[in-house]
Amino acid sequence: MTPLAPSLAARPPARWLLPALVGLTLAAPLVAVLFGVADLPLRDVADVLAGGGSAGARSIILDIRLPRIVTGMLAGMQLATAGFLLQTITRNPLADPSLMGVSQGATLAVTLFLMIAVYSHDPGSNTVVELPLSWLPAVGMLGGLAAGGFIYLMTLRHDLGALRLTLCGVAMGALLQAVALGIVAGWGSTRMEVLLEWLSGSLYARRWEHAVFLAPFTLAGLAVLPLLRRPLELLRFEPAVARSFGLAYARSFSLVLLVSCALAASAVGAVGPIVFVGLIVPHLARRLARGHFPLVLPLTVVLGASTVTFCDLLGRLLGRADEIPIGVVTALCGVPLLIVLLRRTP
Amino acid sequence: MTTRRAASPPRGEALRMPVLTGLLLVLAALAIAGGLAIGDRTLPSGTVLDALVSKAGRVDTILVWTLRLPRSLAAFLAGAGLALAGFLLQALTRNPLAGPGLTGVSAGAVAPIVAAFVFWPALSSVWYPLVGFAGGMAAASATFLIASGRMASPLHLALGGMSVSLFLHAVTTYVLLLSGPQVPSLLFWLAGGLQGRSWPQLAAMTPFVAVALAGALSIHRVVDLLSLSEGAAMGMGLRLALWRPLVLFLAVLPVAGIVPVAGPIAFVGLAAPHIARLLRPPGSGWAMTLAAAIGGLTTVLADLIARSIAAPRELPVGLVTALIGGPVFLYLVQRPRALAVEACR
Repeated sequence: MTPLAPSLAARPPARWLLPALVGLTLAAPLVAVLFGVADLPLRDVADVLAGGGSAGARSIILDIRLPRIVTGMLAGMQLATAGFLLQTITRNPLADPSLMGVSQGATLAVTLFLMIAVYSHDPGSNTVVELPLSWLPAVGMLGGLAAGGFIYLMTLRHDLGALRLTLCGVAMGALLQAVALGIVAGWGSTRMEVLLEWLSGSLYARRWEHAVFLAPFTLAGLAVLPLLRRPLELLRFEPAVARSFGLAYARSFSLVLLVSCALAASAVGAVGPIVFVGLIVPHLARRLARGHFPLVLPLTVVLGASTVTFCDLLGRLLGRADEIPIGVVTALCGVPLLIVLLRRTP
Repeated sequence: MTTRRAASPPRGEALRMPVLTGLLLVLAALAIAGGLAIGDRTLPSGTVLDALVSKAGRVDTILVWTLRLPRSLAAFLAGAGLALAGFLLQALTRNPLAGPGLTGVSAGAVAPIVAAFVFWPALSSVWYPLVGFAGGMAAASATFLIASGRMASPLHLALGGMSVSLFLHAVTTYVLLLSGPQVPSLLFWLAGGLQGRSWPQLAAMTPFVAVALAGALSIHRVVDLLSLSEGAAMGMGLRLALWRPLVLFLAVLPVAGIVPVAGPIAFVGLAAPHIARLLRPPGSGWAMTLAAAIGGLTTVLADLIARSIAAPRELPVGLVTALIGGPVFLYLVQRPRALAVEACR
C-alpha cells in the first residue's frame, strides 16, 4: 500500500451517500414494477398502485411483479448481510455463502426433497406436483443450515481457523454439489425443470408466500445486527487481539456464523442459489464507507436489496419472455468484479 | 527428494516403484476383469472367459465385449488422465488443493460442450474435445488470474477456482434450462457417467490421455523443478514462461479428452496424487505414474460400485467418487501439512 492509503481510508464518507443509497433502494422497486413481459403503460401502473386500475393490470402488478420484487429485496438483504458476516468472522474479504457449502447444502436438500416428492406421488406420470413447491424454502433452509453446522463442527477441533473454515466450506460445497447432481442424474427424469429453475437462482413465479416466508428472517436478522455490533468490530482482528479486548471469541464466532447461515440458508431456500451477491455487495459497501466500519453494515443491507432488484430487472428485460435467471445475471456481473477485487486483495 | 536419488539407494529400494506400479496395474486388471462379470446381470467366471475367447454373437459375448470391457477400460483411462491432470496442476501451482475441479478446468470444459450440444447440434462430437480444451484453458487461466499468479495460496486458489466454477455452473444450468428435452441424458453425463460407453468413445479419448501421459513423463524433471520452487527452477535455468504454459497444456489436454466421454468425474484428480505421494515416490516421474495407476484403479472400482449397487438402475460414477473422494479431501484439509505450501512461500 502507498503511504497515501491511511489518509484516504480516513476520509469521511460522502454526506450524500446514505440518503442517495436509501433513495436508490426506494427507487429500485418503483423502476422494477414498471417493466415486465406485459407492457403496461405508466398510467395503469400508477392507477394500480393508487388502488384502482383494471383487473388484469391489478393482477399483473399485485400478484406477479410486486411479490417478486419484495421477495428479491428481502433475499438480497439477507444474502448480502450473510456475506458480510462471513467475511468478517473468517477475516477473509472473499467469503460468500456459496463458498461455504451453505448454498450447496440447500441444493442437496431441495434435490432430495423433490425426488422423494415426485416418487412418492406417482413415479410414472408427469403431473405437476403442486404441494411440495411451497415447502422448498423451508427444506432448502434446513439443508443450508445443516451444511453450515457441519462445517462449523469440523473446524471446532482446530481453534476455528478461518482458513480451514473456508477450505472446508469449498470442499463441502464441491462434495454436496456433486452428490446433488449425481442424485438428479441417477434418479430424476421427470419434473427436472422445477429443479433446474430453482438451481439457476431464479425469482420467476415468486409469490407473496415466499415474501412472507422470508420476512421473519429478514426482520429477525436486522433486529439482531445491532446486538452483534461490538462482537463484529472485534472479530475483525486476530483471535488473540479480540480476546484481549474481553471478547468471548468462540461464542461470538459461533453466534455470528449461525446468524449468517440462517440468513443465507433461508434466502437460498426461497430464491435458489443466487451467487456472488453475498460476495460483491459487502465489498462495494466497504469501498463506499471508506473504512468507517459502523457504516458498512447498513450500506450492505441497502445495497443488497437494490442489487438483486436491478439484476432481476436486467434479466427480465434482456430475456423478455425467456427471462434470464437472476443467478446467471449476478454470475455474469460478479466474475469480472471478483477478478478486479481479488487482484487487489493481498 | 533429489538427495535420496543421488545417494545410492538401499537394496530393494530401486525396485520399489516398479513393483508398486505393477501391483496397482495388476489390481486394476483384476478390477476390470471383475467388472466384466459384475453388473445388473452377474456372469460366472467361466462364461466371461468363454465370451472373451469366442467372439461368437451370443448375448453374453455382446454383454462382455461391447458393453462391459470398453466401459471398464474407459473408466481406467479417465481416472488415470484426471489423476495426471491433478498432479500437474498441483505441481504447477505448488498447491495441494489444486485439481481439475478446484481450478475450474472441469467446469470450463463442460460449459462450452453443453452450449455446443444445445445451440449447435449439427457440430460433430469429434470436435467436443477441442471445444472442451478451449474452455478448460480459459477457465484455468481465469482462475490463475483471479488467484493472482500461478503461485496461488491455497485460499486464493480455492476461492478463485470455486468462483469460476460457480459462474460456469450458473451458465451451464441456464443453457440446460433452455435445452428442454435432452436434459436427463445431459445431466447423467454432467454427473460423470460412463453408461453405455463403447469402443469408439474409448478410442476418441485414448490419444488425449496417452499424449498427455507421454508428454508429462518425458518432462518429469521439469515438473520436479516446477514443484520445488520458483527460485530452484530459475536457478537451474528453467524458462518458466515456456514451461508453465506447456505443463498447463498437458494438464488440460487429458481433461478435454475425458470430459466429452465421461463427464467431469469429481475428486479423482484431486485425491489420487495425494495417495500417490503417500507411497513416497522418488520423483515426479514415478509420482505421476503411480497417480495415474491409482486414479485408474479408483475409477474402475467406483464405476463397478456405481453400476452394481442399485442395479438395475445406474448411478453416475461421479456420485460414487464424490462420496469417496469428498471425505478424503476434507481429511486432507484438516491435516496441517495440507496447508504447508503456503508457509513455504
